[in-house]
Amino acid sequence: MSAAALEHGQAVPRRTVWSRLSRHLTGWLFALPWLVIFLVFLAIPILASLALSFTGFGIANLRDWFSADFVGLDNYSKLLSDERFHKAARNTAIFVVVGVPLTLASGLVAALGLNQAIGRFQALFRVGYYLPVVTSIVAIAVIWRYLLNPDFGLVNAVLGLVGIDGPNWLGEKSTALASIIALGVWRNFGFDMVIFLAALQGINPVLYEAAKVDGATPWAMFRRVTLPLLRPTILFLAVITSVGYLQLFEEPFVMTGGGPLDSTLSVAMYVYEQGFRFLNLGYASAVAYALFIAIVVLTFIQFRVLRSDEYV
Amino acid sequence: MKRSAWLAAVACILVVIAGCGGDDGSSAGGNGKASGEVTIWAMGTEGEKLGMLAKDFMRTNPDVKVKVTPIAWDVAHDKLITAVAGNKTPDVSQMGTTWMGEFANTGALDPVPDDIDTSQFFEGARDTAVVDGTTYGVPWYVETRVLYYRTDIAKKAGVTPPKTWDQLQAAAQALKEKGGAKYGISLSPNNWQEFLPFVWQNGGDVIKDNEMTFDSPEVVEALKYYQTFFKDGLTADSVPEGFDVTQGFVAGTHPMFFSGPWHMSLIEEQGGADLKGKWDIAPMPKKKTGTSFVGGSDLVVFNGSDNKAAAWAFVKYLLRPDVQRKWYATVSDLPAVQSAWEQGKLATDPHLQLFGEQLKDAKSPPPIPKWEQIAAEAVNAELEKATVGGESAEQAAKNMQQKASSIGTE
Repeated sequence: MSAAALEHGQAVPRRTVWSRLSRHLTGWLFALPWLVIFLVFLAIPILASLALSFTGFGIANLRDWFSADFVGLDNYSKLLSDERFHKAARNTAIFVVVGVPLTLASGLVAALGLNQAIGRFQALFRVGYYLPVVTSIVAIAVIWRYLLNPDFGLVNAVLGLVGIDGPNWLGEKSTALASIIALGVWRNFGFDMVIFLAALQGINPVLYEAAKVDGATPWAMFRRVTLPLLRPTILFLAVITSVGYLQLFEEPFVMTGGGPLDSTLSVAMYVYEQGFRFLNLGYASAVAYALFIAIVVLTFIQFRVLRSDEYV
Repeated sequence: MKRSAWLAAVACILVVIAGCGGDDGSSAGGNGKASGEVTIWAMGTEGEKLGMLAKDFMRTNPDVKVKVTPIAWDVAHDKLITAVAGNKTPDVSQMGTTWMGEFANTGALDPVPDDIDTSQFFEGARDTAVVDGTTYGVPWYVETRVLYYRTDIAKKAGVTPPKTWDQLQAAAQALKEKGGAKYGISLSPNNWQEFLPFVWQNGGDVIKDNEMTFDSPEVVEALKYYQTFFKDGLTADSVPEGFDVTQGFVAGTHPMFFSGPWHMSLIEEQGGADLKGKWDIAPMPKKKTGTSFVGGSDLVVFNGSDNKAAAWAFVKYLLRPDVQRKWYATVSDLPAVQSAWEQGKLATDPHLQLFGEQLKDAKSPPPIPKWEQIAAEAVNAELEKATVGGESAEQAAKNMQQKASSIGTE
């Protein structure tokens, strides 16, 4: 900036230079609190954990951390043969592949319903569906743990009323992950619904009127008018929801502890376990970076697939 | 779901922050101001009540100032790790017995001085602090597991407290079939603390001379025995997160289980007057021995302490038999010092005496740094496969051996 001022020489009045400088300064000052926090609590640790992932850092290196061995890519090659990591990756992938479309679809259906409904009930349902999103996830998980309890849980009690002997939801390999997915969808679709609702209300009614005049069926209107116009919203929600779901942690942590037989172990939980329970901090960093790369790749793919040149 | 991707990052920042703090710590240590102040970290109830004993100690040692810092159990491990990483350790700390190997491995612990006689402790408790032949701490209080059973259901089923493995199995069968209980016993499908006593009772062990022995015939046989309870439906095949057996015991659905002394007050509280006289405890059943698990807490002095002499003096005070008895009277912690059991309620109460007897035959896993990981990834995981996952005992033992060996002892 000062270089620019010098180049222009006298052509630039002093006051303008000063005001430009002070304007930038104000900007930086406003950004400073966030910047400092970002650097100290995010940027430095992120880089440090990248460095850590190439070492065998463990409990013995705690007092003198430069005593950790540099192991190159060993931690990453260990990932390739680590059965528990594979299991965690598979569980997380299932959670994302099944959970994200379900959450988006539920959110869209709820939003469409609310968009049609008029009157005071709209507000009531909107609050009802959104409530789980703003409630503490740990509280929700603890309560669902009770609801799904095979001996005194409400879910099986209700099923019992209609003569169904409900399974041990969280205690059986076949139902544990499904239960966690159901909880995730139930908790998160309210957020998607609110965003969809806003997008739906932003669609110009003239388009629907025109379609009606042309004799379009409701399904055709949805397919040809609503859906294309929601595309940017779908992209946004798909990215946000996937990134959140890839980091699945609290639900299995509170409800199953990763069991039974690791059937609900997620990658983020595995990071926690390796890092904080077993104190293999080097290896845990490598797992965390594998997760990070997966998130970047998935987000990139979603941008590619869902990008529509007309609306972005 | 938000924070978890940065877990490793958080780990780092802990190290970074602690590291920065470390510089001040060592310079403060360098100028050698021996102020006579002793800081001690204690967890849970111990942390809340220890101030009382500290006051007593200061009355007789006016030149020493003892400062007690209470820490919650669920953050204690992290806090200690961070303290070690940053050289900001207290002088003394309470420490879970299964953490000893880990912390001794960091090189932050001061070996126990010769003038503390370690033969005064229960042997199993003393062994929790011996790492590679050096004693790094002293047991402060202990707990051990015994068999809790419902006397009324046992009577109905016509069984007496089981003394052997065969009798335990027969009792579980009878309690379920004749006693009308939902299960015969409550055993965890994936908890090493419940399983290892069976290995020890069978004359086996999991580590000998720094070599894993999970694939020994004693372990396989113990696994087979443990499996039968699950195969015959005598115990539930899954334990929900946060499960407390007390409820099932009071309700009569789980009429037997193994646990420590804390369950006595839990049962009294939840069972109320209705359950009075309807339950009792018995020693561990015998195969070759009747060995149980010993847990509790040790006391350690950190070698970063400026005031080791005063620190050990306070530890010695806490080990005096009369102080150990007073501590039992205050927080119900069972004394680790054997001679403390010779007087008072500890010598007369039949339940307490049973615990006292069981403590003489109780073991803990070897204090190796990687025990936590071996326990979770090798023992618990394979135990679960053997009990509810349909894996054979031989295969499970083989896998335990292979996984434990690859995790290693160092």
